[in-house]
Amino acid sequence: MELGPIWRALMRNKASYVLIALQIAVTMAIMVNAVGIIQERSQQMARPSGVDEENIFYLSSNIFDPDADFEAQIEADLDAIRSFPGVHNAVMSNTVPLQGGGWSEGITLEPDPDLDSTGVAIYFSDEHGIDTFGVNLIAGRNFSANEVNWHDYESDAWPPIAIVTRAMAEELFPDLSVDQTLGKTVYIHDTKPVTIIGITERMQAAWNSWSGVERSMLVPVKRGGAYARYVIRAEPGYRDEIMPQIEEMLASMTDNRIIRGMETMQQTRQESYLLDSSMVKLLLFIVTVLTAITGLGIAGLASFSVARRTKQIGTRRALGATRPAILRHFMLENFVITSVGVAGGAILAVAINMWMVNAFGLQRMAWYLVPVAMAALWLVGQVAVYGPARRATMVSPALATRSV
Amino acid sequence: MLIMKDIAKVYRTDTVETHALRQFSLTVGEGEFVSVTGPSGSGKTTFLNIAGLLEEYSSGTYELDGKDVSGLNDSERSRLRNEKIGFIFQSFNLIPELDVFDNVDVPLRYRGFDSAERKRRIDRVLDVVGLGSRPKHLPSQLSGGQQQRVAIARALAGEPRFLLADEPTGNLDSNMAESVMDLLTEINDQGTTIIMVTHEPSLAERAQRNIHVRDGQVYHGDPEIRLAAQTA
Amino acid sequence: MFRYYLKLGLFSIRKNPVLSSLMVAAIAVGIGAFMTIINIDYVMSGNPIPHRSDVLYHVQVDSWSPNDAYEDPDLPPEQVTYLDGVALWSAGEARRQVLSYKTTRVVQPQAQGERPFSVQSRSTTADFFAMFDTPFLFGGGWDKAADDGEEYVVVINKEINERVFGGDNPVGESLVMNGKGYRVTGVMDTWEPMPKFYDINNGPFEAVEEVFFPFSVSIANELSSSGNTSCWKAAEGGWDGRLASECIWLQLWVELHGESERQDYLAFLDAYAESQKALGRFPRPLNNRLNNVMEWMDDREVVAKDVNVLLGIAFMFLIVCLLNTIGLLLAKVARRAGDISLRRALGASRRAVFSQYIVEAGIIGLCGGLLGVGMTWLGLQGIKGLYGDLDFIARLVTMDWPIIFAAIVLAIGAALAAALYPTWRACGVHPASQLKAL
Repeated sequence: MELGPIWRALMRNKASYVLIALQIAVTMAIMVNAVGIIQERSQQMARPSGVDEENIFYLSSNIFDPDADFEAQIEADLDAIRSFPGVHNAVMSNTVPLQGGGWSEGITLEPDPDLDSTGVAIYFSDEHGIDTFGVNLIAGRNFSANEVNWHDYESDAWPPIAIVTRAMAEELFPDLSVDQTLGKTVYIHDTKPVTIIGITERMQAAWNSWSGVERSMLVPVKRGGAYARYVIRAEPGYRDEIMPQIEEMLASMTDNRIIRGMETMQQTRQESYLLDSSMVKLLLFIVTVLTAITGLGIAGLASFSVARRTKQIGTRRALGATRPAILRHFMLENFVITSVGVAGGAILAVAINMWMVNAFGLQRMAWYLVPVAMAALWLVGQVAVYGPARRATMVSPALATRSV
Repeated sequence: MLIMKDIAKVYRTDTVETHALRQFSLTVGEGEFVSVTGPSGSGKTTFLNIAGLLEEYSSGTYELDGKDVSGLNDSERSRLRNEKIGFIFQSFNLIPELDVFDNVDVPLRYRGFDSAERKRRIDRVLDVVGLGSRPKHLPSQLSGGQQQRVAIARALAGEPRFLLADEPTGNLDSNMAESVMDLLTEINDQGTTIIMVTHEPSLAERAQRNIHVRDGQVYHGDPEIRLAAQTA
Repeated sequence: MFRYYLKLGLFSIRKNPVLSSLMVAAIAVGIGAFMTIINIDYVMSGNPIPHRSDVLYHVQVDSWSPNDAYEDPDLPPEQVTYLDGVALWSAGEARRQVLSYKTTRVVQPQAQGERPFSVQSRSTTADFFAMFDTPFLFGGGWDKAADDGEEYVVVINKEINERVFGGDNPVGESLVMNGKGYRVTGVMDTWEPMPKFYDINNGPFEAVEEVFFPFSVSIANELSSSGNTSCWKAAEGGWDGRLASECIWLQLWVELHGESERQDYLAFLDAYAESQKALGRFPRPLNNRLNNVMEWMDDREVVAKDVNVLLGIAFMFLIVCLLNTIGLLLAKVARRAGDISLRRALGASRRAVFSQYIVEAGIIGLCGGLLGVGMTWLGLQGIKGLYGDLDFIARLVTMDWPIIFAAIVLAIGAALAAALYPTWRACGVHPASQLKAL
């Protein structure tokens, strides 16, 4: 079409067009990076924890009578909970996935203290653990009741068996298939052997930003002491109803303890990812407002540009331009400006991304965000200029002969 | 070639009805050089707009090159303007951001010629008006006379049926005006029909025939009185 | 002349209400977004204890594993072991020193019908209160004798005092926690250091603990930390094993005035590290650290990474808004070309035209700034809505006067900067060049 003359004309009157192009460039740089971060965080948040998040809740029992029979109380608590109507199963454990606080140990392949160890999150559990957490056992077997032992807080003993996640098995034995790792022995605390008797598909650790978040280990230990955390899985649909009931029941069972910290797994997930989900919302808001501002800016400047050139438009019409030709002219002109803008924007976006990766350790953004953002901004530009361009087509050709 | 019969143009607002043209009739033949004169407010600008298909008329008939132009839609009228009419405006109406070449190019683009054809035509008409050596100049770098020549070149490039000139020398000093008029006379000698609207009697006399417009109509009165009324 | 330009500026703004309000809006939105994040950054990185921040030092010794550093690139552990903490604290080499850690207790109100409730507590040596200059409503902390004598004393906060003692002066009264009675020595007034610098490792923006009691009592009762505990070597069994282990779970702060005291203490730390090496501990090379409050916060990168990212984005957002403003100003100048040309014809110098338009831009900037302060407030409320569940949000979203002032100054500055190019263009309009079109 008229690319040549349009380009030459723009080059001669750079000021306002450079402004629009610059605005588009910076907008694009922000857009691309913000969407990159949104993507990254959303992917993080989408990771399943591996447990039955809809139906699990947990609470803590804190016995403040130092002479109480802790083990008996815990047994009584668990029996009462498990037989409560609406409860599917319950287990005493130290934490739940995404909780933020937990226990980790280092595991080695040989009983050698000088070896580098692999970090793993520990979940204390019993034979009810797998069913309570709702994790998927993909190989091997569960603990049996006689394999579960009481340890007190001072104990440094470790059970000889454990159930690990697939990710843990793969990290320890990268060359073996999951089934082949069954029966293998690894070492905790340098010298204590632990045999893998079962493998779960997935059970995340308590720290969502830990690189080893997929590595956890269930061990058949009940820790007897003043603090106990009960993880409870309700029957589908019963959770909200039974939560206060269970709390009340446990509180009324004895006077020398307090029940606190009751939370659902869903709340835990929300809190765990609060910073990420808020960041996503904030960035979405910023990108939206930014696009609106840029769009309005383009529309405003285009409107002004049209108003300034009415005589020229009239002349073109007199010389034979149809209304669609005038529309095309302004849409094309805008397209050229936007193209310069997005070209600059692509470079700026990549440069800023590289800087942010260096300065803040962010992830490098997906390459396809750049062309997508270019397309989006082309669209925004065309939509923004459409109104003023349509107004331009309504300029009468008789304007050409008017003397002022 | 151009036949107007009883053309009337009425402007209506809420309160006032203005008859810019009434029962205006005019015939211009092939190759003629016609001047249209009249005092300000006489309706000659309206005539110009209607003749140039820039405005629609309220009643009457207008036949251009044997074709009745009533009932044409905007696109058809635009095309007709593009192919058959060459405009020359009082204030040149060149596009300031485009150089000479691109300015002359404008109507050719709307015509749809390919780039070789356009270049051929532009080079030819720039030669005709004597500006072949300045295709890259911007209007701001040219004198008034030169700018008007570019406008004339632009008007000629599409090989129109007639040139429609609106006070072509109105913004020029007497020297430049002279040379532009010479150019127009020459173009007319080559066979191009020219209709020129002006209020300068001396310029009007360079044409072959004069139409005087008064109160929206062609005035058939005494030329002497006409002259006196004009200069009064 | 300035008053004349002021008058012209206001008149021009009134004459172009749409264009002017768009400009004010563009500046306001840009400033609002930027200052919202600045506010958060400012509060997060502010000095929590300005009058003492350069005499308080956080102590680190490298007791970590021979195989790996505690943290890349080669940082020593953030906390100290029991062995090191007690040894360094008892040595008393600094003016003052405090050893503490976080734990939980259950308060058992003695009044009828009151249920027990758990509280966040800090086990600490006596110097905590003097060193960190904590404010007291009633009474005060305890003394060295109480530390040494393992006395059951306690400092409680205002809320606990309200809840258990009805808000009256409880000094001398007994507070029962986990079956033992603690004598109240003082009630701490509201103290909200932002961030909680003395225990960054275990929640930098958490609320201050609710009760404080002696470190010696806590150890005697075998209370474990409710914060982070990390061990590079497995601890032997039992509480004694924990105390003798290489597990880090305590925070050690010292008070040193002046560079020479600081150097002396560093030398002492080095000597201590050497002595531990002789005993077979401290396998890593010497790596002792002594960071004052601001240095320590910097080291821990207390300002969240996300805030820095948002700062960058908000700055670019401001740039976009400013580009918008420049465009609007260009349009305004072009529209006013006739006016400018007339003034020049009537004798205004280029400088006069420049001044007139700069003053006008300044007015726009001021309006934009005022509106921008409102936008900042809105932005902070939005942040509160998003992150509301976090305890410390209320502090982060309060605007104080320096921020308000900065917003307005930034807005005026930005408006003036944006106006430079269009105004320069305005001066270039030839006298009378536009008159014909008037």
